[in-house]
Amino acid sequence: MAPPILHSPVQLSPAAALALSQQAPAFLRSSSSTVSSSPLSTLLSGPEKSEQWLQYENLIVSCLRTGDDQAAHQCLRRLVARFGDDNERVQALRGLVKEAEAQGNGALEEVLKEYNQILDENDTNIPIAKRRIALLRSMGRLSDAASALVQLLDFSPTDAEAWSELSDIYLSQGLYPQAIYAIEEVLVLAPNAWNIHARLGELQYMAATAPGVANGLYQKYMAEAVKRFARSVELCDDYLRGYYGLKLVSKRLLNDGAKATRQTDDSEFALPGTSTLERLNELATARLSEIVRHSAASDRGWRGYSEAEVAAARALLADDASAIER
Amino acid sequence: MAQVPVQSIHRDPQLFYWILFPITIVMILTGVLRHYATVLMASAPKKQDQKATREQRSLLHGINVRGNHHVLSKPSFTARRDALITAYESGAYLKNPDSRGQPPPNPMSDPNAMEGMMGMMKNQMAMVIPNTLIMSWINAFFSGYVIMKLPFPLTIKFKSMLQAGVATRDMDPRWMSSISWYFLCIFGLQPVFNFLLGSDNAASQMAQQMNQMGPQGGAQMFGPGVDPNKQFLAEAENLAVIEHHSVLDGVEQRLLAGIKV
Repeated sequence: MAPPILHSPVQLSPAAALALSQQAPAFLRSSSSTVSSSPLSTLLSGPEKSEQWLQYENLIVSCLRTGDDQAAHQCLRRLVARFGDDNERVQALRGLVKEAEAQGNGALEEVLKEYNQILDENDTNIPIAKRRIALLRSMGRLSDAASALVQLLDFSPTDAEAWSELSDIYLSQGLYPQAIYAIEEVLVLAPNAWNIHARLGELQYMAATAPGVANGLYQKYMAEAVKRFARSVELCDDYLRGYYGLKLVSKRLLNDGAKATRQTDDSEFALPGTSTLERLNELATARLSEIVRHSAASDRGWRGYSEAEVAAARALLADDASAIER
Repeated sequence: MAQVPVQSIHRDPQLFYWILFPITIVMILTGVLRHYATVLMASAPKKQDQKATREQRSLLHGINVRGNHHVLSKPSFTARRDALITAYESGAYLKNPDSRGQPPPNPMSDPNAMEGMMGMMKNQMAMVIPNTLIMSWINAFFSGYVIMKLPFPLTIKFKSMLQAGVATRDMDPRWMSSISWYFLCIFGLQPVFNFLLGSDNAASQMAQQMNQMGPQGGAQMFGPGVDPNKQFLAEAENLAVIEHHSVLDGVEQRLLAGIKV
């Protein structure tokens, strides 16, 4: 049996999450259920591994996702036995279990009340604060969630996770400049994250193509979007989303034609020239079709692309081809 | 040329069972005991209140913006810089803005700092007391004679290390006294403790001394006696003098030159 994964299971596909949670009973059986703190047993059984607790955490998440509440409770009990009832992470996990089992809005309100109570006692309990925000968001109270996040970020502005969540919330409310600001903060904390560069490019593109955007602003957003996507694939030269965005943006700019290339002052990025755009478009097309071809044949070293993303890339390429035929 | 005769000293074989062995066992047991004593005595890291967290992380935020300014476009960098400099200079992030400009409090009078020092003292004690006890025990019972012969030759320089407590000038440095065996155990038992207690144990004095000597960057930065207001002002100045360039300048050309289709 492969041991349960150590990285966060949030982005697993449903099938993988199911497979993981089906390992839960075997994993629970294979590891001892009691944690003894007596020196003798530690001497005999060897030092405990910190990965083990991470595995429990990940198991809880994927078990809740697949409806195996019993195993989740078992994992939680062991974490409580090891770290105590008032550990911040354990508190957050217990909240997560309660949220998952809550029936209807009333029960969720109860959980929210508990979170508020915990935060009243200890206002630096970041895991609980984040759970509260996630709960507010899933209950549809977006502006409450956003203001709680802003409050969290005011005293902890070095939290990349919180910034990207804030960006997401703003995006879902259609507040593009705020979303861009928040994702820029993530980049400040993780300057070489190519996915965040591409995400920022996507946000710029969305902001540019939103209805009712002035022409000057449109060009500014598009210029930076091109650069962000280019930076993203410069950092990771087989990143599908980066190439996808690069192709999308450069195609759109080429279709716009050379109209109104406003001379920008040097504090802003200028749109690249038509020949550069064409070459960028070519590059993105070539790489995208390479990725699509290889992952269709599921060649070695080309697996791991999300199927939805590959399908979207294929659709984009097909769109391009049909435009040429016409 | 006269061969130096091989020195042979007749030792009671029981020396091995009654001295060498007990010293080693005692050393290992004290190491294990010290580990658990340190674990038990360790106080949980003190919780910071929201304002202290805010003060520290705001400063870190400024440092991050300064270090990674190249990922931002010029307008967004300027906006952040202006906001941060204003906030830093007005003391908006300070834990207690009223005490600006006053000299930092004496670290001795600050209860938090005292606690840190107490922790250090406790660790020191856990190291010093058992060592003193064992050494006096060995000195009282086993001093004044050699207990074993090392199986390899050594130069004369090792005499003072290996024959402490045995003042014989002509004896081969391969002979070893009990107190020297004790010192050898102090320095040589680290792998044994690693095996028994895991690699981050508190049993070995050597590791602890290394820790104390090493630079404590994080603690230094926000440690007691450092005036946060001055840190903020210095950081504001650092931000102000940045000449901004963006990694996005000319990224298309770089990309096209770098990737061959």
